[in-house]
Amino acid sequence: MSRWLYFWVANLILAGLTFVLITVVVIVRGIGDLKEMFRRLTKGESERG
Amino acid sequence: MNFTPLDWAIVGIYLLLSVTVGVLARKYVGSVADYLVAGRELGTYLGIATLAATEIGTITFMYNAEFGYRYGFAAFLPALISGVVMIVVGRTGIVIARFREMKLMTVPEFFEKKYSRGLRLLTGILVAVGGILNMGVFLKIEGEFLTIVSGINIKYLVAVMTAILLLELTYTVVGGMVAVVVTDFVQYALLSIATILVSIFAVYHAGWANMVEKVAHTLGSAGFNPLENPKFGWSFLFWQILLWFSVHTCWQTTAMRMFSTRSPETSKKVMTWTGFIFLGRGMLPMIWGIAALTLFGTGPLLAGSPLPVVNGHTLAPIDAMPAMLAQILGPGIKGIVVAGMLAATMSVNSSYLLGWSAVISQDIVLPLRQIMRKPQLSSRRQIFVNRLANLFVSLFLMFWGLYYTPPGAVYLYLNITGTIFLAGAFACVLGGLYWKKASTTGGYLAMILGATGAIVPFFFFHWSENVTGFAAFGLAAGGLLLGSFLKPRQFDANPAGGAA
Repeated sequence: MSRWLYFWVANLILAGLTFVLITVVVIVRGIGDLKEMFRRLTKGESERG
Repeated sequence: MNFTPLDWAIVGIYLLLSVTVGVLARKYVGSVADYLVAGRELGTYLGIATLAATEIGTITFMYNAEFGYRYGFAAFLPALISGVVMIVVGRTGIVIARFREMKLMTVPEFFEKKYSRGLRLLTGILVAVGGILNMGVFLKIEGEFLTIVSGINIKYLVAVMTAILLLELTYTVVGGMVAVVVTDFVQYALLSIATILVSIFAVYHAGWANMVEKVAHTLGSAGFNPLENPKFGWSFLFWQILLWFSVHTCWQTTAMRMFSTRSPETSKKVMTWTGFIFLGRGMLPMIWGIAALTLFGTGPLLAGSPLPVVNGHTLAPIDAMPAMLAQILGPGIKGIVVAGMLAATMSVNSSYLLGWSAVISQDIVLPLRQIMRKPQLSSRRQIFVNRLANLFVSLFLMFWGLYYTPPGAVYLYLNITGTIFLAGAFACVLGGLYWKKASTTGGYLAMILGATGAIVPFFFFHWSENVTGFAAFGLAAGGLLLGSFLKPRQFDANPAGGAA
């Protein structure tokens, strides 16, 4: 039982840390992606169809 | 009422901001490709935000927390499988990179390119039925969450459901995928903050040592070892691996994000990094469920776990987590968390509304018109049909949500309704992309047997979800092989096709 508990705790720590880290990176750098999407949609550069 | 004026103000500001941003995105919609796949302009970070927001809703928090409440730490198994499989799909690019190269807008569209128009139509119908049945329980459960946490009287549940739906519909119908992507980004930020806050509060209030002890005392070693838990075991493990491979490659709302990325390489990156988020998407709410079990699990036993008792009232296991949030979160924090949960709800529902209505308009209405030799619809008319389909799906959701209650854990109901089309679709997609001999007859057999294998045992014979799910995937694979050998592919009959 304790081996399973250690296994799940390790997974939980990995899950929690990566969740926080990716969230911060995505929020900061996603704004650039949003601006780029609007720019290309406005100019009609997108890959239609 | 559990809400203070500060909480209501936070929620109100969020709702106003979200709907306004969504409606403003309308000006960027020029063609049906803009409407359904945002002009294929998603970069990596925006792609991760919208994919994560699409697949993390209040419904996700509710069913994962229920799973944690019922099965303890052993419930982590499907969360681990979903994340690891997603990372594998992203790293290898299996199916998703090829899908992106083909410039699809819906999954069933692939079936016309590789098999036949008739199979696309059948797949479209099964995808729509399975997807809408799947989404059918969302509204009621989300409404329950909001009424329990905010303290609104349960008699207003229908009004809460209707309000949620109308707000989502407003910007989804008007702005399509562009609106959904923009609102997803805002909603992703909010739901992530809420997820982190609730995880900290839940563990702090329940106490880690108490949580471990409660699971050990209530569920024994089956609360830690999934292979010992009668609900799981090896059949569950293999079914979940198959299911999550099919979800990450063939699930319409996930696939639409892959179709919307700038390139196949971007789609692989989006899938890989979202895989890590998927670990937390499952495990963090499961921890909330275990905390709720620790705090409230004192009632009579139901299928091995005690029912939650809150203020003298016995609740269903799925309602334990929101009842816990109503008690442990203070003013202001509660408003932020509920705004985050509303964000999660709206991002999922708007994406799902768009996803299933896209299938109805592109894969049922358009092929039917072609079969009936009617003229092709213009881009504007296609968008109009899609908006009508949106309204139709919404109405169905209201009625189904009110009158149907899943018999067991909601997570398993969602898995089975998804399997209705995923079993056949996954076999056909793998066959169509990677096996030259996969034929249209095999495709028909795979779709029909896969759907039958999911619907009949679960809804009519009440077999266990593990056996049902496993049988559906097995029947679908068998159907593809049998049909392809009985009536081999005619290579010159469908110039658009041809397995690569």
